[in-house]
Amino acid sequence: MQHRFFWIAVGVLALAYPILTMPFPVYQRLGALVLLAAIGASAWNVVGGYAGQVSVGHAIFFGIGAYSAVLGYHYLGLPPILGVPLGMIVCIAIAAVIGVPTLKLSGHYFSMATIAVAELVRVLVPTFDSLGGAQGLSGPTLPRTVLDLSFTSAMPYYYLFLTVLVAILFVTWRIENSRMGFYLRAIKDSERAARSLGVEAGRYKLYAYMLSAAMTAMAGGLYLTMIGFVDPESGFGILISVKMLIMAALGGAGVLFGPLVGALILVPLEEISNSLLGGKGAGITYVVYGAIIIIIARFLPNGLLALLKPTQVKPADAPNGSPVGAGEKHAA
Amino acid sequence: MFRNIGKLAVTGLVLATVAAPSASAQDKVKIGAIYPLSGNAASAGNSSKAAIELAVEIVNGNFPDLKDLPLATTEGLPNLKGAKIEVIFADNQGTPAAGQNQTLRLITEEKVHALLGAYQSGITVTASAMAERHGIPFLTPESVASDLTERGFKWFFRSTPVAADFARSYSELLREQKAAGRKIETIALVNENTEYGNSVSKVIKDVFIKDGIPITTQISYSANTTDVQPQVLQLKEKNPDVVLFISYTSDAILYAKTMKDLDWKPAIMIADNAGFNDPSFVRTSGALVEGLINRSAFAAGKPGSISAVINEMFKKKTGNDLDDPSARAMQGLLILADAINRAGSTEPAKIQEAMKATDLKAEQLVTGYKGVKFDEKGQNVLASSLITQMTGGKYVPVWPKESATAEIVLPYKGW
Repeated sequence: MQHRFFWIAVGVLALAYPILTMPFPVYQRLGALVLLAAIGASAWNVVGGYAGQVSVGHAIFFGIGAYSAVLGYHYLGLPPILGVPLGMIVCIAIAAVIGVPTLKLSGHYFSMATIAVAELVRVLVPTFDSLGGAQGLSGPTLPRTVLDLSFTSAMPYYYLFLTVLVAILFVTWRIENSRMGFYLRAIKDSERAARSLGVEAGRYKLYAYMLSAAMTAMAGGLYLTMIGFVDPESGFGILISVKMLIMAALGGAGVLFGPLVGALILVPLEEISNSLLGGKGAGITYVVYGAIIIIIARFLPNGLLALLKPTQVKPADAPNGSPVGAGEKHAA
Repeated sequence: MFRNIGKLAVTGLVLATVAAPSASAQDKVKIGAIYPLSGNAASAGNSSKAAIELAVEIVNGNFPDLKDLPLATTEGLPNLKGAKIEVIFADNQGTPAAGQNQTLRLITEEKVHALLGAYQSGITVTASAMAERHGIPFLTPESVASDLTERGFKWFFRSTPVAADFARSYSELLREQKAAGRKIETIALVNENTEYGNSVSKVIKDVFIKDGIPITTQISYSANTTDVQPQVLQLKEKNPDVVLFISYTSDAILYAKTMKDLDWKPAIMIADNAGFNDPSFVRTSGALVEGLINRSAFAAGKPGSISAVINEMFKKKTGNDLDDPSARAMQGLLILADAINRAGSTEPAKIQEAMKATDLKAEQLVTGYKGVKFDEKGQNVLASSLITQMTGGKYVPVWPKESATAEIVLPYKGW
């Protein structure tokens, strides 16, 4: 009962947040930014968390999502939001092309391959004038219709992002409890063991990668509708991939609410540290990021939410046991 | 376990709401400045910050040496009962999203009356869009992307010259030389092949064709190259009267060295700022390009002139000479201060009106513009560049005549 009470409270708070922060537009907007970051990190979580394939190149999909949204506006005068489904389809196709060769690699080699592909795209995009070159492209700065989603207040963005995040978390939750979810966790624990028990590891990793790509494209498209501008660095820069990863890792990679918790901590930290200290040119945000990476790596390899689940068996406690455990779940 | 998540979430929210600062005092004129104070453009951003701070000191204090500069000899803004200017800096972190977030913060939390920024064109796009929606005047003193003034904004102004203005300066100079009897038949354009080089060379080609001195040879190259022999050999073979370079730093250094090695030089050599203005170029290769013509919006003029006095003040404050983008940022603050003073009010609409009525003369400026006057799109129609020439390892202003401290010396001497 206590659980239900808690969730109702969270739900009410989430819905009321933009109304409560009405007198403080910056904090209202911060809410929307947290949700947007949580969408990106939750999208990454599907392949990086559940399947354990640590992609450091998800900026590709984020960038394609943002560029699809702005290109539809730039060439056809479409509201950016209409470009989002297109971006998702393109990303699914591209994920298939990138995923087939790179997902054969394991561990660090996969991460390095994803960085390489993403950097390649970042370097190539500025050479195409049709993509706005190095200067980038802007969306409709003054709204033509309400469909342009160009608002002064952050409240409409907040509710839009909240809806999308809930949808993404719902899909992820369904996967988590489906056959595919068990397969992915089995692959994460030990791909060889999973394969020997009949899991088609390659296929399921690819599915997860494609789904994650589509969701990330959505984050990119939503980013563009809110910010209204994208250039190669803000669309494809490596920091975008890294931030998705850090948020998920801080909250708990492979945990449903991990990325959201990570975003709830990191985004306000980033904005507040920049607002309080940024004017002095301290660049303190990046110092904080660096410190967090070190802390996660050293003390919290399973993320903050792992602290709340003391009963969970950590892979480190049972080096041989866990793959078998995962296999049993699969067999069941 | 859920109570813990709850605590986390609530702490986040409380932190967010409590940190909201209280309303600000009204006796000051607040200007928000959005610059890259961290990230890869941080050194340029912090230099602009220092220049803007110097401009604030000048407006708020009494500087009889600078009597031609508006507001320099009065403390604060006389039409606002001597109200002092306060600049609130915000770090755009080199990202368009941070630029926009910080603009919103400056407008809604700091309650600034006008905004200045944001160095990178892409960030000026998003930051000025936020200012437009809130109806706060936004002046960019340095972003040059051409479409910034094509967005139909009512609150956006730009004081810096854009590529077409540089191109016109080169063209005017060359036509003057031609009229004086110098042979200017063949012109080569050598440009690095990314956004900067491509866009500027396109504008220069268009302007030169219109002015009847078309480019006869164009050579594009990659700025990351480690060898420019092929390009210099090509120039040597065509032997043009004028060569115009659009280059970054390492390639500019290579060109200077290679031209000496292959012993070829044109009668007039022009460089479009960027790499050729980089202090590291001047240090390593200044001696190889004696007589090189360049552009800058700022050059310290004759001793006692506004630009010379300000350069000294800046040098005392930071240890460096005032550079071109920082001088433009400083000019931006002075333009805003002048407009707010004329408005006699901190109401955004009145400042906007006063900005539109801005009419500053060349002698009232720090930078070498012909003046400041905004058209209906917000572009300064009197923005222009000074032409400088490398003389004894230093660039000195040589054109237009009013701002020159030396005569232009041609032909190009090189090494």
